[in-house]
Amino acid sequence: MNVKGKMVVGATVLAGVIAYLAYLGASSSWQYYLLVDECVAQADRFAGKRLRVSGRVMAGSLNVANNRRQAAFVLEGTERKLPVSCRGTLPDNLAEGMEVVVEGALKTDGHLQGEKVITRCASKYAAEGVARGGKEGHATPSTR
Amino acid sequence: MQGYGQTFLLVVLICSSYAAYVHLVCRPERGRLLHRVATLCGVIAFLGLSATVAILATALITRDFTLDYVARYSSRLLPWHYSLSALWVGQAGSLLLWAWISSALILLFRFVSPQRGRLNDTAFGVQLACLCFLTAIMIFAADPLKPSLAAPREGLGLSPLLQHPSMLIHPPVIFCAYAMWTIPFSLAVAALLEGQFEGTWTQLARPWALFAWTILLAGLLLGAHWAYQELGWGGYWGWDPVENGSLLPWLTGTAFLHCLMAWRYRNCLKKTALGLAILTFGLCNFATFLTRSGIFSSVHAFSESPIGWMFLGLMVVLLLGGTTLLFRHRLALQPEKATTTLWARETMVLGATLLLLVLTLIVLIGTLVGPVSNWLTGHTVLIAAPFYNNVLIPTGLLLLGSTALVPLLRWGQPPTSVQRRCLWGSAGVGVMGVLGAWLLGAQHWISLLVAGCAGVATATLLASLVLDGRRQHPDRLWQGMISALRTGRRHYAGYLAHMGFVALVIGITGSALGTRRQEVTMKEGESLSWAGRVIHYVHLDQFEQPDKLVVEAVLEISHPGQTSAVLRPGRHFHLLQNEWTTEVDTHSTWLGDFYTVLNAGLGNGEIALTLVDNPLMRWIWFGGFLMGLGALLALWPTRVQQVRIQSSGTTTSRESIAVLSRHKELQQQVGSR
Repeated sequence: MNVKGKMVVGATVLAGVIAYLAYLGASSSWQYYLLVDECVAQADRFAGKRLRVSGRVMAGSLNVANNRRQAAFVLEGTERKLPVSCRGTLPDNLAEGMEVVVEGALKTDGHLQGEKVITRCASKYAAEGVARGGKEGHATPSTR
Repeated sequence: MQGYGQTFLLVVLICSSYAAYVHLVCRPERGRLLHRVATLCGVIAFLGLSATVAILATALITRDFTLDYVARYSSRLLPWHYSLSALWVGQAGSLLLWAWISSALILLFRFVSPQRGRLNDTAFGVQLACLCFLTAIMIFAADPLKPSLAAPREGLGLSPLLQHPSMLIHPPVIFCAYAMWTIPFSLAVAALLEGQFEGTWTQLARPWALFAWTILLAGLLLGAHWAYQELGWGGYWGWDPVENGSLLPWLTGTAFLHCLMAWRYRNCLKKTALGLAILTFGLCNFATFLTRSGIFSSVHAFSESPIGWMFLGLMVVLLLGGTTLLFRHRLALQPEKATTTLWARETMVLGATLLLLVLTLIVLIGTLVGPVSNWLTGHTVLIAAPFYNNVLIPTGLLLLGSTALVPLLRWGQPPTSVQRRCLWGSAGVGVMGVLGAWLLGAQHWISLLVAGCAGVATATLLASLVLDGRRQHPDRLWQGMISALRTGRRHYAGYLAHMGFVALVIGITGSALGTRRQEVTMKEGESLSWAGRVIHYVHLDQFEQPDKLVVEAVLEISHPGQTSAVLRPGRHFHLLQNEWTTEVDTHSTWLGDFYTVLNAGLGNGEIALTLVDNPLMRWIWFGGFLMGLGALLALWPTRVQQVRIQSSGTTTSRESIAVLSRHKELQQQVGSR
């Protein structure tokens, strides 16, 4: 086999291995991004799966532990509500009425066990009021 | 003043579009005066943008809230330097900065470029067309000098997260890099439009590409450093879509630089190099699309706006146009010599290019999977770090391996018998590196492999220097090595950048595999031992600053055999934004960082802390520094270039001729290595 042939074979094998590794990585880490209403409406479908759920922290529901390592609150959508409990470093600006994204797993009892809270506030990047954009105050090491 | 600014922008649009038209369409031999006027228009465009920047900067420093932009991003409570930094914090301001830097670089290219001719004229025209695009966006969609509807007494101020020294320079550095990639892109388009693919093209594109690559690297590192210091989770890279956006052009830019060398020394990979120049600039526009389209919510993102889609449109046009032009010239861009061995430098360059393109593709897929899945299935699916890491680890290790071998390989030929012996010796050093790392406590196979590759890389570099030194002065090795470093400075600068990459990989591996975290609560005066250190909590310090209240925990950290350090992790309450931020404090050594975060004060002098032990973090910043230093050393003109500049194509002195001929000899020697 000439040099070009060897290079083509090597590149093909490498591409195959990398594609397989990427598939393994994707299948072990993929998660749905849902709104509260979607999540509650299809709770059976998403129970036990890793999710990112977006909603607003309901007024009067936020309860943060003294050491700021645990929190419980209710995430509300336009029609439905989702109870959330969280463990880990909480973002500095977590507050009631704030748009947040909670990453975690939906338990069979219907509550979301969060591992990370990402806040979306009216950042100076998006002064016109952020429906979708805006900065995130990241909470745990897997994102920033 | 805003009226003047808007007029200036209009003048810039007219001048840049006229100058672009003349340089792209009119032949200079038919209208020299037209070309001179068009060049003058380029100068006027730069002056107009400079004046606009000056107006906005003055308004920010004087807090002129009659301007909408100033009211949104500044306040009287902000220190003046952060108020000025608001120039590049908002969307319209950052576009203005990008356009201004572009205009300055375009003029620099026009007047500094050593050669004049159709290629340069066309490249100048393409650059002005890009400037025209940016100015049009500012005029029609993102006016930085829009007046406020009703001037407020106080502005909204700057997000507390952005009030960090790294943020003062990170955005302008990134925009400077994006602007600088316009030059290699324009040269590639000009070469394809004019059908000029001589070896001199690489000499024209190389310095700009090297500089753009270095600046983008600096921007990425500054961003990572900001994330590490400001966001308080102990990491520096989170595969955020927008930071991915900046990484993509750096990956393709790295591949482009290596293909330029293969083109120069072996006349191969020309299509790939031209395609990569266009792709890199396209990806700079794609990164801008990511921040401005609103398709992602991110720590960097601007609000949803049509601007992002304009940049995406430009990228699509560039890719389609570039592909068509490359296809048209495919025969002229065929390599002149076929590769005859796998163990040659061009083969390594080709392999590294493929690996970098695979990484680019993977990062692109990971970034776009959310919006694409939503579009296809109605559900948004996201993928996290394991997807990237699964690919990054093998490709990174292969890149590291090829980097380690390169100093002892030659262009177009297999290594000589001496080089082969040195390669086997270097492999032995690599085995010793693995054993050394194992004895020092590294157990993970990735750490051991990285240590082995680092050993091989160091040994091959030294062996290459010794061989070159012997070739130059067989009797006096040291003198020969110094002489080799002088004459082969560009090559050794490249190897220095490679050693920087090795250091970067060591840092990434150490911090990724060895990180430890601990959540603790401590009472005043209490001490605890963790990660080989004794942490003593002295007291909680509280004081006021004009714009914030500051709470800091004073910690004394002592490490066996080292002097103790005092760390002050804190929390700041920003009065204007009514918002808390966490301010970490770090004790950094070559062995690792001790990273402390104050989570909360619990009353009665008790505090909640997060402690993070990040091994080898300093090697990441050091590696990045070495890579940048290597690139800058490679940029420094050689003696022969200096002679050319001095002689300016006129009468060449005898000394110059002697230097030129000596340089040619040395180049032939290096090329044959």
